[in-house]
Amino acid sequence: MKALMSLGALIGVAGLLLLGGMTFDVVPSNTVRLVEGYMPIQLLLEVACFVIGFTGLSYMASAMGMALPRFWQGIGFWIFLMVYLKYRVYPPIPFSVRAMYGTVGLVTVFMWVSANEEDWNKFKQPIMNVLDAQTGMNRLLRYVYLVLIPILVGGFSFNAMMPKSEEPIELRTVHPAPPASTKVHGKTYTLQTSQNPYRVNPEGKYDQEFSNANIVEQGMGRLMKPNANPWDEKNQGYLKYVREGGEIFFQNCHFCHGDNLNGRGLHAFAFNPIPANFTDPGTIAQLQETFIFWRVSKGGIGLPNEGFPWASVMPPWEQHLTVDEIWKVVLFEYWHTGYYPRTWD
Amino acid sequence: MGLLAGKRIFSIVALCMMVGLLLLPVVVALPSLAIGEETHAGDAAKKDGDKVEKGRDVYYKTEGIVSGAPAPKTTDGVKDYPRYNFESRVLLWFANQQHLYYGSFVLAVPIFCMIIEFMGVVTKDKALAKRYDQLAYDFIKISLTAYSLTAILGGILIFTFLTLYPSFFSYLSGIFRPVMHIYALMFVAESGTLYIYYYGWDKMREGFLKWIHLSMSVVLNVIGTLLMFLANSWIGFMMSPAGVDEQGRYLGNIWHVIHTALWNPLNLHRILGNMAFGGGVVAAYAAYKFLASKTDEDRAHYDWMGYIAMALGVAFLIPLPFAGYWLMREVYAYRQQMGITLMGGLLAWLFIIQATMIGILFLCTNYYLWQAMGRMRGAEKYQRYIKYLVFLLACGFVVFITPHTMVMTPAELKAMGGQQHPVLGNFGVMSAKNGGINVIITTTVLSFVWYMRGNKVSTVSWAKFGNIFMGVFFACAYFNIIFLAVYGYYIPANVRVGLSVPQVATTLSCLFFMFALNSFMMKGAKQMGAIEWGKISARSQYALIMLATAFTWMMALMGYIRSSVRLFWHVNEIMRDNSPWAYTHTVGFAANMISANVLFFWITILFVFWLGSLTAKKVPVESKAGIPGSVPQPAPSH
Repeated sequence: MKALMSLGALIGVAGLLLLGGMTFDVVPSNTVRLVEGYMPIQLLLEVACFVIGFTGLSYMASAMGMALPRFWQGIGFWIFLMVYLKYRVYPPIPFSVRAMYGTVGLVTVFMWVSANEEDWNKFKQPIMNVLDAQTGMNRLLRYVYLVLIPILVGGFSFNAMMPKSEEPIELRTVHPAPPASTKVHGKTYTLQTSQNPYRVNPEGKYDQEFSNANIVEQGMGRLMKPNANPWDEKNQGYLKYVREGGEIFFQNCHFCHGDNLNGRGLHAFAFNPIPANFTDPGTIAQLQETFIFWRVSKGGIGLPNEGFPWASVMPPWEQHLTVDEIWKVVLFEYWHTGYYPRTWD
Repeated sequence: MGLLAGKRIFSIVALCMMVGLLLLPVVVALPSLAIGEETHAGDAAKKDGDKVEKGRDVYYKTEGIVSGAPAPKTTDGVKDYPRYNFESRVLLWFANQQHLYYGSFVLAVPIFCMIIEFMGVVTKDKALAKRYDQLAYDFIKISLTAYSLTAILGGILIFTFLTLYPSFFSYLSGIFRPVMHIYALMFVAESGTLYIYYYGWDKMREGFLKWIHLSMSVVLNVIGTLLMFLANSWIGFMMSPAGVDEQGRYLGNIWHVIHTALWNPLNLHRILGNMAFGGGVVAAYAAYKFLASKTDEDRAHYDWMGYIAMALGVAFLIPLPFAGYWLMREVYAYRQQMGITLMGGLLAWLFIIQATMIGILFLCTNYYLWQAMGRMRGAEKYQRYIKYLVFLLACGFVVFITPHTMVMTPAELKAMGGQQHPVLGNFGVMSAKNGGINVIITTTVLSFVWYMRGNKVSTVSWAKFGNIFMGVFFACAYFNIIFLAVYGYYIPANVRVGLSVPQVATTLSCLFFMFALNSFMMKGAKQMGAIEWGKISARSQYALIMLATAFTWMMALMGYIRSSVRLFWHVNEIMRDNSPWAYTHTVGFAANMISANVLFFWITILFVFWLGSLTAKKVPVESKAGIPGSVPQPAPSH
């Protein structure tokens, strides 16, 4: 048990040193990198390692007779969480999300320190000591708090009420609900039931399985499957249309959406927000092909009311491309990102 | 003997009457239904010179004879939308929500009574049986006052519809004419059954008569549930109409109108929701009484009452997210844009608030259970591991509430380099959220298992093996849930949706297998100490109050979401809302309105509780081991 706790303490110390170093730029901020594709679970595992580390540290400190009071353990853990979210995760997390996580952190710290009567008494002891003010130091602290707390509350209130010149917060709907049907080049498409006519096997029959089996591998490499190279002239059906879609993409779309379809094209940073990142699992991977067909056809100007503030400069591509070309581009986007379009079967 | 036989006959007659009342609406309605339809269709045929017009069902795609008028095309004015000088919709919202709160409460409480009365009947401990019986009686007494309020609020709701939305209500009642009559008759049946059940309590206290009385509670609940199903058919029709053609004309098949695409998922979700809500309200009542108690005996009683109500409520809370998942799946299947509006579009932020409320419910439950371990000696061995449960809950909660669409300033948006955060964006999609909620529920199950074995040590010969097996089972469950959540990113969406099945199965396996195994292991277990009812921290009672408040807030929120997903339609894609209020409220306004509804409900329900306490009668309960109000002993209620 002692050996395990020692190991835990070692992890805790190493983790804290690394985090501190990365926060104050003593060690490079990419010393421990967030690995693409594993970032979310890596984040949770890292916090779990810190929890194990803190448990070990707490155990060792107690064994050495230098136990940290429960009050400071609680406060310390919450501060650690805030520092971790602010300085470890990149790109920076918006304040609204950090505020949510911070509140959850505060609630869970409270649940931990008050889970049983003994811990709760330990936690509130320093607060009670200051309130009771039996010693000179506590009496002094009580006076300090008496002055400091109203000033802090007043300061926060003033800050909250003060008119600001910052741009207002936007609650933008990234994926507004599509219409039931859309009319492109004179033909009406029902979004719930329409299908991409080019998702076909070499025999020319609609085949979702075939196309799914021939998309690129997901992950950093984005490797093509063996014998599934769209630029092989011999390939017919799905892969042929992917090639044609790719040609259209690189003639029209890649300037903004980027060579890797990650929204970082040549002109991307002229816009805010930058164009959609198709490699993110929160974009086309969550949507039906018909949704993309509608968005490409109608562009930013065709967004419905709930898409306010319509922060999209995408042109309505129906004015420049044929219906077939739009379907082929959509096909290429799914192929290249390695995602499957959403289906309802 | 003669008196007993007389009572038996009386009881059987009463039960038969209830069954008769239950069947009455159906029997009365059937011929009128048939005649009504024929006459209507016949009239239509006469007008058209014997030419029968046919229409195509918008949902079932079947053909039927047009038997009703088309949905009215309303215009903004006093004819279709008479009004006061403020938004009519808000008045309707308020009346509807209050009626729903009380309706849910009076439907849930009799189910509790049935369960508690049954527990009292089957338990061998006579003192405990009496205590259960008294508890069930207290519940039904409270529900009786609430029942009157439900009826009053129902009347207010109908008047509000009739006076502020006459065209819409006229259309809806035209379609649902027979259903509304059956509903009214069912309400009569419900009232009659409830009164017989309540006033017959004392007369049917013992033996065979008690079983008859218990059967009455079953009849009462069957009627109540059917009532709710009928009311659900109206909202189901408004969301996903069926049985009418594109113009909204009734096609003569009432079953199609009732049995719409969302009716069954709504039914299931509402039953579970009502039960969880009812449990929460009763638990909050017990918590309030506990905090106000002056004697140890009272504290012990209300502590026990709060525990029972919480356990019943949580038993229905656990499957609730799965029922909700089914409902959303059906919504997506019915109309993609409706699903996206709900979970990815306009109303997505309300869903994040909903996720937060669900998380709070489970956090409160776990916290209460950890506090409850404090009243049993021997539970200390589990308490030092609570911090790890807190960590698991926090991780599940954080993932569950991470929004897909983040609120940010344009500067933050630019710093983030796009709308999607490459790390946290992954938590914003369904695959991760399924993992999050299943981790939370599994941890709640683990807390329950710890609570159940808190003051006991298993004495079975295979205890060591059993403990290791349970530990490994839970570890595998966590691994499986998290693995499937991650794996969901690498497979097609239709397969990913299917992954929720093994995730749910894993969680439910923990619930059923681990509870069963734990019960076997704890049979004849060595008691480490007694459960000292009443000796629980005040914080636990605040957790119960928080639980109930979160339930009420969430109910109002989800009601608003379900209703506003129709956007500018009274009846989706059939009857357009042309009033000046056919827009979606801001999140802030909706939250304020929800809070006002919650506040009003709690103020009025306190009044109901107060009324209940005016007629409270003290029933002397003989002291016996294991029940509150007596010498503290291990809880037999596990």
